[in-house]
Amino acid sequence: MKTNSTSQLQDPGNGARLSQPPQRSEPASLSILLRRSAVRGCGAWNSRASGRLCALLFALPLAAFAAGYDEKPEPPTPKKDDGCVNEPLTPEQIQGAQARARAYAATNSLYPYYANTPEELVPFSKIEPFYRYWTSRLPFRGPGKDYPPPPNLKSLKIGLLSPAPYGPEGARGRRTKKGVEMAFEEANAARRPGELPFEIFYREDAPQWGSAANITVEFADNEVLGFLGTIDGDATHVALRATLKLETYMINTSDPDPTLTETQIPWLTRVFPDDRQQCVRLAELVVKQHGCQRIAVFRESSRPGRVGVMHFVNYIRRLGVPPVQHVFFKPGDKSIGPQVEAIKAADCDAVLFYGQPDDVGRFAAEFRRAGIKAKFFGFDRLKEDAFGKAAGAAAEGTTICYFFNPDRADQPWVEFVEKFQKRYGEKPDIYAAYGYDGAKLMIQGVRATGPNRYRIRDYLAGLDEYDGVTGHMIFDGRWDNIVPIATAQFREGKWHFEATTPVARDKVKLSQR
Amino acid sequence: MKTTLASLIAMLLVTPPAMFALDAVGDVPFPIVERFENFGKESGIPANKVHCVTKTSDGRLWIGTWDGLCVREPNGQFRRYGPEHGLSHKMVLAIVEDPRTGDLWLGTMRGLSRFSAGKLTAFTQTSSGLPNNVVYGVALVGDTVWAATAAGTGAFNTKAGEWKIYDHNNTVMHEPWCYTVTGAGDLVYIGVWGGGIIEHDPKRGTFKEYRDPDKDFHFDLVPDDGPINDITSWLAWEDGILWQTTYFGFSRYAKGQWQTWVETRSPLPSNFTQFVWPHKRAAWVGSDRGVSVTDGKFWVNYLVGDKGEGLVEIHRPGATQPEKRTMSTALANQFVLGIYVDDTEAWFATSKGLSRGVFAKTKTAVAAAK
Repeated sequence: MKTNSTSQLQDPGNGARLSQPPQRSEPASLSILLRRSAVRGCGAWNSRASGRLCALLFALPLAAFAAGYDEKPEPPTPKKDDGCVNEPLTPEQIQGAQARARAYAATNSLYPYYANTPEELVPFSKIEPFYRYWTSRLPFRGPGKDYPPPPNLKSLKIGLLSPAPYGPEGARGRRTKKGVEMAFEEANAARRPGELPFEIFYREDAPQWGSAANITVEFADNEVLGFLGTIDGDATHVALRATLKLETYMINTSDPDPTLTETQIPWLTRVFPDDRQQCVRLAELVVKQHGCQRIAVFRESSRPGRVGVMHFVNYIRRLGVPPVQHVFFKPGDKSIGPQVEAIKAADCDAVLFYGQPDDVGRFAAEFRRAGIKAKFFGFDRLKEDAFGKAAGAAAEGTTICYFFNPDRADQPWVEFVEKFQKRYGEKPDIYAAYGYDGAKLMIQGVRATGPNRYRIRDYLAGLDEYDGVTGHMIFDGRWDNIVPIATAQFREGKWHFEATTPVARDKVKLSQR
Repeated sequence: MKTTLASLIAMLLVTPPAMFALDAVGDVPFPIVERFENFGKESGIPANKVHCVTKTSDGRLWIGTWDGLCVREPNGQFRRYGPEHGLSHKMVLAIVEDPRTGDLWLGTMRGLSRFSAGKLTAFTQTSSGLPNNVVYGVALVGDTVWAATAAGTGAFNTKAGEWKIYDHNNTVMHEPWCYTVTGAGDLVYIGVWGGGIIEHDPKRGTFKEYRDPDKDFHFDLVPDDGPINDITSWLAWEDGILWQTTYFGFSRYAKGQWQTWVETRSPLPSNFTQFVWPHKRAAWVGSDRGVSVTDGKFWVNYLVGDKGEGLVEIHRPGATQPEKRTMSTALANQFVLGIYVDDTEAWFATSKGLSRGVFAKTKTAVAAAK
C-alpha cells in the first residue's frame, strides 16, 4: 500500500486529526478505509450505521484514485471494543452515499465538495466547469512561523467578539460567552506549572457601522493570539476581512451565513454548521420526504434572510419544484396582511420560514388563522422557546433543522450539560455548546503550538476532524464543519428529534484522499 | 588559438545566468527585473510586514508598515512616523499622494490620515464622515479623496470639506464591504468584497455593477466571461485597462472585454492575488507566491524557491513551456502586499521586508515600455 503524504502533527488525544500542509496524496484503498472504519466504531453518538456509511461515503471516490496501486496487506489492528455495533445500511443510505461519492470523485477534490451536497443539488453538476475552487485548502504562504513570542507575555490572550448586548442576538451571545468562559476556566484550572494562563479579551459589537472591524483591530493591538465570534453575518464578515490583514486566527462558533467562508481567507475555521447545510436537509425534507410541490418562502428582509434561504431556493428548483411564492417581512412587523394574501393566493402546500423565532411564531399563527393549511418548515432558531410561545397551536407539526439532538445521552454531551448546569444553573443550548467547543479548539491550538499566531493558524487550518461536545466535526476545503445535521418536529408541545443522517464517527482521514 | 578558444568556453561556462537574460528577454514588452535589493530592520524599517510602497513626485520613497509610516532618507535609512506623531493607527495599508499639494493620504487600520507639511491629521469614523475606521484603500480623483473602508466608501471633497458615503443603501453595491478604490479618467471604480466591482460616474451620479456571472464561488464555469470573482482584493486602472485581483484569480477589463486567469490553467502562479500596480499597459501583480508581470499576453513571474533563491519564469504567447531561470537574488519574501513601478525601477512591499527591483538594461524592453 502506498502511504499517504500527509504529515500528522501532534494529536492532542481528543480526536483532532490534522493534515499539515494539506497536500495531494496517494489515497488509501477502499478496503483499508473500510477496515479502519470498522474498528473505530461510532463513539459517543452511538449512531450505529455511521461507521459503514461514512466509510463508504468517503471511500468510494478513493477507489477510483486507488486503482492501479499495488497494495500490501496492512497488519491487523487490534479491535477496540467501544460498545458500538455497526448495523447494515438501508438501500436508501447506500444509494445516497454512492451519489455523494460519485460527486466527489468527479471533482477530484481532497475534501468533500460542496458541503456534502447530493450531486443532483449541486449547480451545473452535469458539466465540468473550467475551474473548481476548494478542492484543496488554500495554504498561508506568508512568513511568521519562526517569529518569537510577543515580549513580556503574562497571559495567553484570546479575543471574544460578541453581538451587541440587546435583542435576541445579544441573548445568544451571552450564552456563547458562558460556554467560552467555561472552557477557559477549565483550561486555566488544568494548567501545569510554568504554563501561562489564558485570558479572554472580551468585546461586544456596537451599533456603530462596521464596529466589528474596529474591534478586530483592537484585538490585534492587544496581541490576542486568536479570537472567537460572532453570530451576526455582517459583523463576522467585517471582522474576517480585518483578520486577513492582521493575521490573527478566528474560530467562528455561531454565524450560519453560508457566504462567510466563501471569501477564501485561510484564517478562519467555523465549527457551527451553516445555513447551506440546513438548506440541503430542508430541501430534501420538504420535497422528497413530505412530497410538497407548491412551496412558499417567507423570510426576513435582511442580509441573513437573503443568504439564509438562497441555497434552499436553488435546491428545490433543481429538484424540479421552484418556489411558487417568495415574500418578505421586516423584523418586528406587526401587520403582514398583504403577505398573508400572497401566500394564500399561491395555494402552497409548504411554507419555509426564515427569521427570528418570535416573528415567525407570530406569523405562523396568523397564517393558520387565515386558513393556510400548508406544512411549516424552518431553521434551527425556531427551536427557541419564543417560537412555540408566539405560534401557540400553529407550531404543531412544524419541522425544522437542528444541529444535533440536545436530549442525547452520550457521555461527552451529558458531562458537558452537567458541568454547565453546575456552573451556571441552566441548561446549555447550541450557542453555549459551540462556544465551548470553539474555545476548546482554540486552547488546543495554542497549547499545541505555543504563542505564535502563524503556528496556531497552521494547526487550526490543518484540522480535518474534531470531537467536541456538540459531536464529531468534519472540516472541508473551506474550513466549514460539514457534519450532517438533524431534524426535529414540534408535536404536542415539544420538539421530537429524528435520527440524523449518519455522522462520520470513524476517523476517516479526509486528507488521505 | 587553443588558449583563446578554451578561455572563451571557460568564460561562457562561468558567466552568470543573469547576463544571458539581458539578451534573451528583449522580446518581452515590459521591463525585466534583473536583481533585487532587499531592505529590512537593519535599514530602519520598524516591522517585518510592509503593506504598501509609493514614490512621491519629489522622488522620495514612502512605505506603510505594520508599525508606522516610513520615508527613505538620502542616506538610505528609513525614518518612522507613528501614532505618537499623530498617525491615526500604526498600521498603514495604503498611501496616495496629491501631486498638486504634495500631501499624502494614508489608509490605516484606524482611520484616514493626512500628512501635510510635516503634520499628521487623523480623520476617523467619529471625527469625520469616514464610513468606518478600517481604511483598506485610498485614491485621489480631482479634488476628492476616496477611502475604501470596511463598511462603505467615503469621498472627501478637499475643497468643500464635505464627505459623502457610498454603500449598499445608496448605490447598486451588493455588499458594503469595500476594499479598494481607483480613479479611471472621469470614473471611479470601487472594489467590493463580495460585490465585485462598482463603476461610478461622479458627474452623472450613476453606478454600474460588474459581477462574476457564475453566481457561485465554487467554480469558474467559463473563462473570460466577467470578473473572475466577486471578492475583489484590489483594483487598478491605467491607459483604458482595469485590472482586478481576487483570492480566486486575476482579471483584466478593456474595451468591454474581460480576460481572466487562474493558477494551473494559465501562467498565474497563484489564485491568491492581493495587489496590482499598472504601469503603461502592463500589470504588476502581487500574490502569495511572488510577483507576476503581464500585458495579457506575455507573463513574467518572479518567485522564491524552496531555498530562498530567486526564480524567474517567462511565459511567451504560443510557447508550450515557460523559460525558467535562477536569479542571483530574490524578493525579500514571496508574500507581496504592495508594488510601485515607474520607468526606472520597481519596489515591492512584502510580508518580510521591502525589495527594490533593478531593471535589466534591455534596449528592446525599455523601448517597448516607453
